[in-house]
Amino acid sequence: MDFDTSEEQQAVLDAVGVLLDRHAGPKRAIQLARELANEDANEDSNEGAHEDTYDHALDRALAEGGFNDIARSMSSLEAALVTEAVAKAGGRCAFATAALVAANLGDDPNDPHDSHGPIEGPIAIALRSEDGPVRFAAHAKHLLVISNAGNANSAGNNGNAHLIALEPGVIEPVSSNFGYPMGLVPNAMRRGGRALTQENARIIDWWRLALAAEATGTMQSALDVTVEYLSRRRQFGRTIGSFQAVQHRLAECFVQIEAARWLTYECAAQGAPREGAATVAAHALAAAARVFTETHQLSGAIGFTHEHDLHVWSMRLHALRTELGGVAGHRRAIAHSRWMGPQR
Amino acid sequence: MQFEWTADDKRFREELARFLDETLPADWDELSKEGPGSDAQAEFSKVFCRRLAERGWLTPHWPSAYGGRDATPWQHAVLSEEMWSRGEPRGPQYMNVNWIGPTIMEFGSDEQKALHLPAISEGRVLWCQGFSEPEAGSDLVALRTAAERDGDDYVINGTKIWTSYANHADYCFLLARTEPESKRHKGISVLLVPMNTPGIELREIPSVVGHRYFHEVFFTDARVPASCRLGPENEGWAVVSHALQYERVGAPRYARAARTLDRLADYARENGTLDDPTIQEKLGHARTMCEAARLLSYKVIDQRAKGLPPSADTNVARVAGTTVDRAVGELALEICGENALADGSFADANFRMSMTAGVAVGATEIQLNLIASRILRLPKE
Ligand SMILES: Cc1cc2nc3c(=O)[nH]c(=O)nc-3n(C[C@H](O)[C@H](O)[C@H](O)COP(=O)(O)OP(=O)(O)OC[C@H]3O[C@@H](n4cnc5c(N)ncnc54)[C@H](O)[C@@H]3O)c2cc1C
Repeated sequence: MDFDTSEEQQAVLDAVGVLLDRHAGPKRAIQLARELANEDANEDSNEGAHEDTYDHALDRALAEGGFNDIARSMSSLEAALVTEAVAKAGGRCAFATAALVAANLGDDPNDPHDSHGPIEGPIAIALRSEDGPVRFAAHAKHLLVISNAGNANSAGNNGNAHLIALEPGVIEPVSSNFGYPMGLVPNAMRRGGRALTQENARIIDWWRLALAAEATGTMQSALDVTVEYLSRRRQFGRTIGSFQAVQHRLAECFVQIEAARWLTYECAAQGAPREGAATVAAHALAAAARVFTETHQLSGAIGFTHEHDLHVWSMRLHALRTELGGVAGHRRAIAHSRWMGPQR
Repeated sequence: MQFEWTADDKRFREELARFLDETLPADWDELSKEGPGSDAQAEFSKVFCRRLAERGWLTPHWPSAYGGRDATPWQHAVLSEEMWSRGEPRGPQYMNVNWIGPTIMEFGSDEQKALHLPAISEGRVLWCQGFSEPEAGSDLVALRTAAERDGDDYVINGTKIWTSYANHADYCFLLARTEPESKRHKGISVLLVPMNTPGIELREIPSVVGHRYFHEVFFTDARVPASCRLGPENEGWAVVSHALQYERVGAPRYARAARTLDRLADYARENGTLDDPTIQEKLGHARTMCEAARLLSYKVIDQRAKGLPPSADTNVARVAGTTVDRAVGELALEICGENALADGSFADANFRMSMTAGVAVGATEIQLNLIASRILRLPKE
């Protein structure tokens, strides 16, 4: 056991930090989101304007920096660390799916038995059974479709995941208040594609881990901006952050986030085992709801505005919570793999 | 960063588990229901701890100079987890080995070490902790119990309360004011007081937690030799602070909660409710809390293993540990339904053990205060 980042890990975080300073941060996230709003306001907007709502520059920089492949060149723990950092900086690109899901698809270019080479990104990921907006889908080159039939069930193979190549423009961008660029993916568009070697259940493990890593970074920033604001904002002649009723709620959020972080790291280091992945997703996404409620409540009216940074992260938390069946499903998955597995 | 146990640690855990399987009596579940302070468990602890000591497992984390094996804090954690998950068969003696012994090592005179350390490491002595007073709970430094110097003796007057195990204890690790007009952290000393000293009286405080759980300890002109003092006179607060560092994460509540949860799942399976998605969600939710508390505790152990000074991460771990303990206690009542209601039922026993978690050893609100100021650096005002 060792809870300190190694020198190599620190070097990775420093490198991605430099990149995120240049290509991410709340200002950039707000500006990118506004492109979409402008486009909505202007019916005649030209095709492709929505391209700008996705951070292609960040996406490219991460890919060129080798971060998409870090799960292979180093390990999934480093991939989780970088995913958390990108989320913390409010990055608007599909890094988590690339680094934690796609990189663990078993499509090793050096493996002669492998059926598919590296998948060109951006990659969006969606459940076959759903019918609505999907994060990053309007900008994705590939859609990874997961069947969640028997999702909670840990036993046996439940079929393989499918990969659908997306022509530019086939997926329509959809305006969403939930912090990410989205594309509408009707159910019919989730059919077909080519079967991957990896079974659905295994990809769901990685997806759960990816969600937790994103939620962790996102929650941390939501808490950080709130703590910073409440350390300045004065009412009744004193800083609001000095009221104990307020302090306790923020401290409770911190405990939840800190747990999400370490559960994420451990789960990543262990290669996203079934029960561990369900555990970290269930914990982190339950915490996400609490962090949303508390940070907004404690920020007052300013917290709801585009003029205050909180929304950059807070709104995303609820998008993460909707994916993959939500907290209740993650919790049931824990019960299935821990207490209802075939070993019993 | 890495999250693997070493081969040694794994082997240690397996050996301990096997030893517990072999050593705990068939009626252990029954016996352990009343908690570590019950007559039965206090008595059993003396037999059990001696057997642990024979194998070097009572104080493996102590330095070899004091009969330990210089085991790492990680091995100490393994030991604590295995013990707690079995209902703490060391009874009250977990306190001795976790913090009383180590504090005596740090501050004790040669005589004190010779008197107390072998008794502790051989598992033949019981201690109690005389900190809280009727007017000094969370605000411990409001304590008033006085120990007045009289020649070579101290004469103690005052009242301690909530003193667990006082009814069985041979010694009390007592905080008292040795400087009469002193305030707050100043003027406090630690005294290692034999409980058979004339002038000490006990009153049991009946409670919903269990029999003989809480006591009030009255000191009326109780006279002890000055050689009972641990550390310098009037500077006992440094001694206590040292002791509390060890105490705070001493009890891995998450380990017991995790074990209880597994048994609740068994119960649900046997009663046909495990297929109910709502029950699955509740069990799954509680499991996330166990795992959260486990990792947050490990973070503290990692710091200890590296010899770092104690940090507010301890408070974070404690909040998570008490949260899961109480949540599982409540879930046990819910899952067992009416069967929970009879005294001594599985759920009742668990609930009793869990319901005090947020208050004992420093209440949750105090932990949150410390997280807010030391980690979030929120303003004081
Ligand atoms: C099972 C059990 C075993 C114990 N064993 C021992 C023992 O062996 N020896 C011993 O010395 N003591 C023992 N105690 C006592 C324990 O240390 C105290 O109960 C604890 O420190 C809290 O003090 P209190 O009960 O007086 O609560 P109080 O201090 O009166 O607190 C009551 C409530 O007010 C809150 N509160 C207090 N101050 C603040 C603040 N500044 N901000 C916000 N909230 C605040 C508390 O968090 C708590 O919720 C034991 C207690 C229990 C429950």
